[in-house]
Amino acid sequence: MKVSADHVDASALRILIADDSDSDRLILKTLLKRLGHEVRAASDGREAVTVFPDYQPDIVLLDVLMPVMDGIDAARRIKEMAGEELVPVIFLTSLTDADALAHCLDAGGDDFLTKPYNKVIIQAKLGAFNRMRQMHRTLSRQRDLIQDRNRQLLEEQQLAKRVFDNIAHTGCLDADNIRYHISPLSIFNGDILFACPRPAGGMHILVGDFTGHGLPAAIGALPIAEIFYGMTTMGFSGSDLLREINDKLVRILPTGMFCCAALIQADFHLNQLRIWNGGLPDGVLIRRDGTKEFLESKYLPLGVLSSGRFDASMEVFHTSAGDMLLMMTDGVLEAENQNSEQYGGARLKQALDNASASEQLIDAVLTDVVAFCGHRKGRDDLTLVSLKMVVDAEFRQPAEQLPQSVLKGPTDWHCVYEVRDETLGKFSPLPLLLHICMEVPGLRRKSADIYTLLSELYNNALEHGVLKLSSDLKTSSDGFSYYYSERERRLGNVDGHFIRFSLAHRKTDAGGQLRIICEDSGDGFDHTTELESQATEAHYSGRGLMLMQKLGNSLRYSEYGSCAEIVYDWELAEPVPE
Amino acid sequence: MNDKPHLDEEALTELQDVMEEEFAVLINTYLKDSSDRITYLRNAIGSADADAFAKTAHSFKGSSINIGAPKLGDLCLEAENAGKANRLGDAAKVVDQIETEFLRIQKTLKEFLS
Amino acid sequence: MPIRTHRSDDGQTLTIQIEGRFDFSTHQAFRNAYEHEDREVSNFVVDLSQTTYLDSSALGMLLLLRDFAGGDRARIQLKHCNNDVRRILTISNFEQLFSIQ
Repeated sequence: MKVSADHVDASALRILIADDSDSDRLILKTLLKRLGHEVRAASDGREAVTVFPDYQPDIVLLDVLMPVMDGIDAARRIKEMAGEELVPVIFLTSLTDADALAHCLDAGGDDFLTKPYNKVIIQAKLGAFNRMRQMHRTLSRQRDLIQDRNRQLLEEQQLAKRVFDNIAHTGCLDADNIRYHISPLSIFNGDILFACPRPAGGMHILVGDFTGHGLPAAIGALPIAEIFYGMTTMGFSGSDLLREINDKLVRILPTGMFCCAALIQADFHLNQLRIWNGGLPDGVLIRRDGTKEFLESKYLPLGVLSSGRFDASMEVFHTSAGDMLLMMTDGVLEAENQNSEQYGGARLKQALDNASASEQLIDAVLTDVVAFCGHRKGRDDLTLVSLKMVVDAEFRQPAEQLPQSVLKGPTDWHCVYEVRDETLGKFSPLPLLLHICMEVPGLRRKSADIYTLLSELYNNALEHGVLKLSSDLKTSSDGFSYYYSERERRLGNVDGHFIRFSLAHRKTDAGGQLRIICEDSGDGFDHTTELESQATEAHYSGRGLMLMQKLGNSLRYSEYGSCAEIVYDWELAEPVPE
Repeated sequence: MNDKPHLDEEALTELQDVMEEEFAVLINTYLKDSSDRITYLRNAIGSADADAFAKTAHSFKGSSINIGAPKLGDLCLEAENAGKANRLGDAAKVVDQIETEFLRIQKTLKEFLS
Repeated sequence: MPIRTHRSDDGQTLTIQIEGRFDFSTHQAFRNAYEHEDREVSNFVVDLSQTTYLDSSALGMLLLLRDFAGGDRARIQLKHCNNDVRRILTISNFEQLFSIQ
């Protein structure tokens, strides 16, 4: 490691001097050494230029007129070699003519020393240039550091984006009836746009805009994406999602940070839109005939209100095929032109009037915004999405790519989960068990079936097995009420009981097989009578077993009804590639 | 012609202070260079090389000023200007003056050393 | 409230809307929704648009409503059900007992 002179003695410099006059050179060299500096003396410009790279002086003192190569030429070459490094060049001269002095400065000289040399002046000038040199070096270092950090940050952003893309992927945004624009690094602008098909048909779209930019804004997007995709896939409604997301954001975001967002729940079967707009610009519903409805924000953004005060009601809009919905983040309205004017709602309205409900709505608006902003490079945090209502049968989701994903998720596993005593009354194991099953990509489409199976098994085990409630009670309205009040009462003092779920999944040639065994600590129940009773309409109970039989591939009871086993086969659309 | 002193005693003392034991080397170097330069100046007149004449006068001027011989420095400046103006006709007279002044300086400096 | 009711202007139609899960936990509220209305109601609409899930006990509750409303003479429409809910109703052959839309 090279120890720089700075560390040895702050004022000791390496000085290169060049003077063709032996006596002058001798004086200067001796003078500088006496001042504590290290000196290398050259007798002309060429020699100075030659030794410069190896000697790496801090300061260069050059006589102006020298044989072979004069000081002006040498100064220019030395400055070239020094590059970005500041190496002050001071001319030694007895010149008195102002023009000649100016010529020296043009050649890259930083100052003069006139003959006769004066110790005090030399010392003062060297000191000044040394401070300048150090300041320059500090600035350069800081600039390099900043450049370095910036490059590092960009690399990290690219890397982070890849991670984000895996979690906060765009879902089914590529569906035929969706068009959107979102900046490639939108996640670092705080903009989010997700879409996900619902297992029962239709889809959810979430468009949002976090306060702030950069990493803090991006971090909030992760839990949102996870909740959005997770809960939508499991069949939860838009309101459920909103409550869950809001709750999560309230917990994790610092005060003052929140997410303006709109959630759209589209149902193509009912031809219906449910919309919740919290803080985004007005959405626009453009009917097939060109009439427009503006869907204004009626709620506070996500992440502001505590769960008790949060309102997740979604407004219902009945639609027809061909109606278009447009949502955007405020980057669109706030896009500025050269005069710092904002694009604004009036221009947007005009652009929409011109575009009508065509497929190219988004393109029309974007083109207009870009034309408005002129050559000024925008912040590029415009996010727009349009959804066209279609006839249910026409709605085709992008290929599910099941064959590929089924190989990725867990396919061969087994787990046992047992709930005991007090917990039986206080906690439902169903969401957790469903969650485990939903880890299998191929089962996600079947979440409703799986939930029904788990729920019916659990309720039978709990009510008939553990609580020893008889379905015979459910023969009248009052019987129903008695049954459920008894359920509540008996749950209060459950002792020495358990319900045990054993789940196993394996891959099959056709897809996969889930085996659910539910055992309980009760004495069993008469499942045979239950099954027979369903045939008659008069019975209000017994349909759980029938549901399980029809949804599953087989249902088998053992241990007098205290152990039930269901086998559920699911199939891929295509055979699994080997 | 000019009223500057032949030798600036104060400057010389300061120089002696800086150079310490090398003071004598310095003086001897200066004296040797200077007598060489007078020869160059005469040669340049002989070969009518005004540029070389001016440059030599310039260097001579610088070292004379530095050593503490301001009057000699002024004479060298006069020679330098004559060279730059390509007036070598006038230059021979200046060189004579330079030589006279130099001999005087040389004498004093040698006394100073001993 | 997971259950909301609405009477038509002529008072003859009662709409019961169930939000979220329709299972045993809604039993009392569901029963209250129709039993406390007067006898002028001749049509019942169960709005399932907000219903995310329906289990076997809910099937029982729907049958209780049917009997309350006159059994085979009952006029009950189950409206706006999502695909999951519809599947459960279909598997249970409820189309034969209710008008499902």
